[in-house]
Amino acid sequence: MSQCVGNITEVRKEYLSPMSSDNTDSILKLIAKGEDRSFNLLIEKYGNLVWSIGRKFLYKESDVEDAVQEVFIAIWKAAEKFDHTKASEVTFISMIARRRFIDYLRKVSKHRNLQSIDEDNGQELFKESILNESTDLQLIKDAIGTLEIADQELLNLSVYQGYSHSEIAKLLNIPLGTVKTRIRRNLIKLKGLFDTKQRATNLDLKNA
Amino acid sequence: MHKEQIQLERLLDLLVLEASEQLSQQEKQELNSLLDLFPEYTSDYFHKTTALAQVGFYLEDDFNNETLPQHIRKKTLYRHKKELGQSTTSDYLSNFMRTLFYSYKPQYAWALTILMTIGLSFSMIEFKGYESNVRYLPLKKMVMEITAEDLIQYPWYSRSNDLESISGDIIWSDQKQKGFIQIAGLPMNDSSKNQYQIWIIDPLKYGQPVDGGVFDVTRTDKAIIIPINPKLKISKAVAFAITLEQPGGVVVSSAPLLLTAPKERPKVSI
Repeated sequence: MSQCVGNITEVRKEYLSPMSSDNTDSILKLIAKGEDRSFNLLIEKYGNLVWSIGRKFLYKESDVEDAVQEVFIAIWKAAEKFDHTKASEVTFISMIARRRFIDYLRKVSKHRNLQSIDEDNGQELFKESILNESTDLQLIKDAIGTLEIADQELLNLSVYQGYSHSEIAKLLNIPLGTVKTRIRRNLIKLKGLFDTKQRATNLDLKNA
Repeated sequence: MHKEQIQLERLLDLLVLEASEQLSQQEKQELNSLLDLFPEYTSDYFHKTTALAQVGFYLEDDFNNETLPQHIRKKTLYRHKKELGQSTTSDYLSNFMRTLFYSYKPQYAWALTILMTIGLSFSMIEFKGYESNVRYLPLKKMVMEITAEDLIQYPWYSRSNDLESISGDIIWSDQKQKGFIQIAGLPMNDSSKNQYQIWIIDPLKYGQPVDGGVFDVTRTDKAIIIPINPKLKISKAVAFAITLEQPGGVVVSSAPLLLTAPKERPKVSI
């Protein structure tokens, strides 16, 4: 029994269709205009992503449930601030989501993951559609690919799996100072690569 | 090292922390002071990078099939309507109940009973829907046993005198990054006090056993099947263990081993 949000085929068609140059198809723009069902579209498109991020930060099911709802309301309220010239839609949404989940950690203690029952439900189509749509993500993927494998894994544990630096140090049996230094160095490198490539991309678009 | 360089490194460390974890009050004050010294930096310096990197890793994670549960989707939409000040079903019900209370007639008691029964049925369906995935676990375990080319399977061995009557096994596939444990005879736990935690031993990659998830034992009349979903990528699992930990589990266990599979940890040559 699938609990997938939305009909995959229809949703995928919509995601993979090219966006207009003034970004009028952006869900956040639709929300800002107060369009009917725009909030439903937001959840259908980004529900799985936000839920996945939440599950990495907050493992207690009830905490994730509460926090995810708060995240979507926060995204809805911030929709009119979205500026597609500064960041892609998925960047904007994931920044708000991440920020809210980290803030939520203050209220609850972080528990390790609960039993999760996975369903193979065509998630790769959702992921492919998000990737195809966002230049930001292509750039960051390329930037991550330039890091050493061990550094990619370290960053993965920190920014994706949600382990703290001290937890990573224990898990990999390396000094805490080394963990901090490597993560700092890699984030600086990622940021530098991303900013450089983004500037180059924007310049190409301008000269096209 | 030059003092300014030391301060800059400390600033960057705090900015990294700010983008990933919570800062203590002292760290926040320190960050604000350092930002005054280095005005070209802002407190959200790494926000975009970490958010994008997180999504980037998510896209690469072939084993992450998490989906937003339907009941959370509904709750979120409901909450959105409340924010908009739109009427919801519960508003109508509240009005109805208010009318009922102020103009009570015996025949309304039947209507109330029927409504409550319907409501209770819906809540049970919601609960059952949430748990209905459990029904498919034996089938999933069987499918994996048939299809996984690199399947390993070990019976559980008790490490405690109190668990002599334990039976069951564990199956695991490195290729699929999935596994199942099947156990009978494990005592029920009080999830508000402790939970069982699965550990995966992968000595070629990790210095410590890897968290395979926590679970509760809610029945003792038959064997339970629990899926293992490790948080980290496993290169070669050689053994497994179960401990009893605080609710939510721990990153590194110091609790005594309850069960291991196989009995003795295999020696691994590099």
